[in-house]
Amino acid sequence: MKKSFLTIITLFAVMLVFGQHAKKPTIMVVPSDHFCISHGYKLTFDNQGTKVVLPDYKAALQGDGSLRLVISKLSGIMAERGFPLKDLEQELKSIAQASAERSVMTSKESGASIVESPIDMLKRTAKSDIIMDIDFEVKKRGPQSYVVFTLNGLDAYTSKSVASASGTGRPSSAAAPELLLEEAVLSHMDKFNGMLMTHFKDMFTNGREVKVEINLFEGFLVDLEEEYDYDGETSELGDIIDDWMADNTVEGRYSNSDNTENFIKFEQVRIPMFYDRKGKQRAMDTKKFVNNLRKFLARDPFNLTCKLYQRGLGEAWLIIGEK
Amino acid sequence: MKKLTKILVIVVLAVGFFGCATTKIDSVYKTGSEILKVGNEGTKLIKVWGYGKTPDIAITDAKRNAVDVAIFKGFSAGGDSDKIFPIVSEDNSRIENKVFFDDFFKVGGKYLQYVNSKNYGVPSGKDRLKLKYGYNVAVSVSIEFDTLRKYLEEKGIARRLDEGF
Repeated sequence: MKKSFLTIITLFAVMLVFGQHAKKPTIMVVPSDHFCISHGYKLTFDNQGTKVVLPDYKAALQGDGSLRLVISKLSGIMAERGFPLKDLEQELKSIAQASAERSVMTSKESGASIVESPIDMLKRTAKSDIIMDIDFEVKKRGPQSYVVFTLNGLDAYTSKSVASASGTGRPSSAAAPELLLEEAVLSHMDKFNGMLMTHFKDMFTNGREVKVEINLFEGFLVDLEEEYDYDGETSELGDIIDDWMADNTVEGRYSNSDNTENFIKFEQVRIPMFYDRKGKQRAMDTKKFVNNLRKFLARDPFNLTCKLYQRGLGEAWLIIGEK
Repeated sequence: MKKLTKILVIVVLAVGFFGCATTKIDSVYKTGSEILKVGNEGTKLIKVWGYGKTPDIAITDAKRNAVDVAIFKGFSAGGDSDKIFPIVSEDNSRIENKVFFDDFFKVGGKYLQYVNSKNYGVPSGKDRLKLKYGYNVAVSVSIEFDTLRKYLEEKGIARRLDEGF
């Protein structure tokens, strides 16, 4: 009787864990800076005497048929593997449209407009968790054409390359450039997805890799060298936060890459994929993880008020001092 | 009793003798596979070696090897293709799913649905070696790689790219 009861409990626990889904990263194909600038899709402006050249994605997407073909092919392959891509062109259009609508939106009774801080405006850009940075060129050698192709999968928060594939296609004098491009995509996507799979498996085994920053609001009297009596010893606030990271990351994996009395930068922070809430497993993201640190610092003996600022799925800042 | 001992000695010697002979043939075998081209609709064109008493049996063996490599080993970069990772990435999957794979790879098994020979007739020249006890042939086969991957994902044998999300 006891045995069967235990079996039922175990099965229930397993169902709870495996029934949950982690937060799915969004993926978007973005033409590389090199592609945009070398093809003339660029914006040039003068920044206090320094000439700055930036890629003009809108012009590239509107003016380059080959780019559209490659993105379409990549989208089809990724959708089939369970990752429908965010479309950069649609995203840019949607942002422009939403911005226009927001500017004329008012309430019925008082005529109030929508509140929008400068940060809100800055955050409204096309973004995704993984960027497929694509670069290609159809080159000529005598009568023959061939394709040089580079695809990099970049984690938008850690800036790490999580998958990559590149190579030069076989020269052909008969095939059209479009066909060569299609072949290039097909030839490299298996490797790219294989590396992406390795990345995801590592994520589920060792936790999601994110960045966390601790900052202070200007004028706040406490800094990260302030000493507190906590857990039977006197330690600096920075060290206490460091200990909290060690206790709450997967197998204590994180790196305190830089710090002063005003900030701490944590990189390679491995956060768990799930957490418990009311007996149920829920998907963890960086905001939730850092919110736990915020709650910890709000308690005795610290009693600190902190603002939590999220930068997408994989980065969050905790700013001590105010909300 | 003496008779029984004699029989046992003969059996042991025979096993030893034929065992050595097999090893000798094995060393002559050509094995392995290489990717020739990645096709549309998730197909891969592979050149693969097989062995059998007759060329036809060797071709069937080559087809089986092609599917086996696609599932468990993947292909090194070659032809017009970049490296292709194996469909099943877990090292012990073959053992863990022994019942499934024994059935999948049995004579006339389901694996044949995912591989087609691109050779016309029996291979000749460098692609056909006559060995003492049979034939070693190299054939070009087309593997329905994506369809095979989806089938193994549905059966829970292969991990989906979006698994867990």
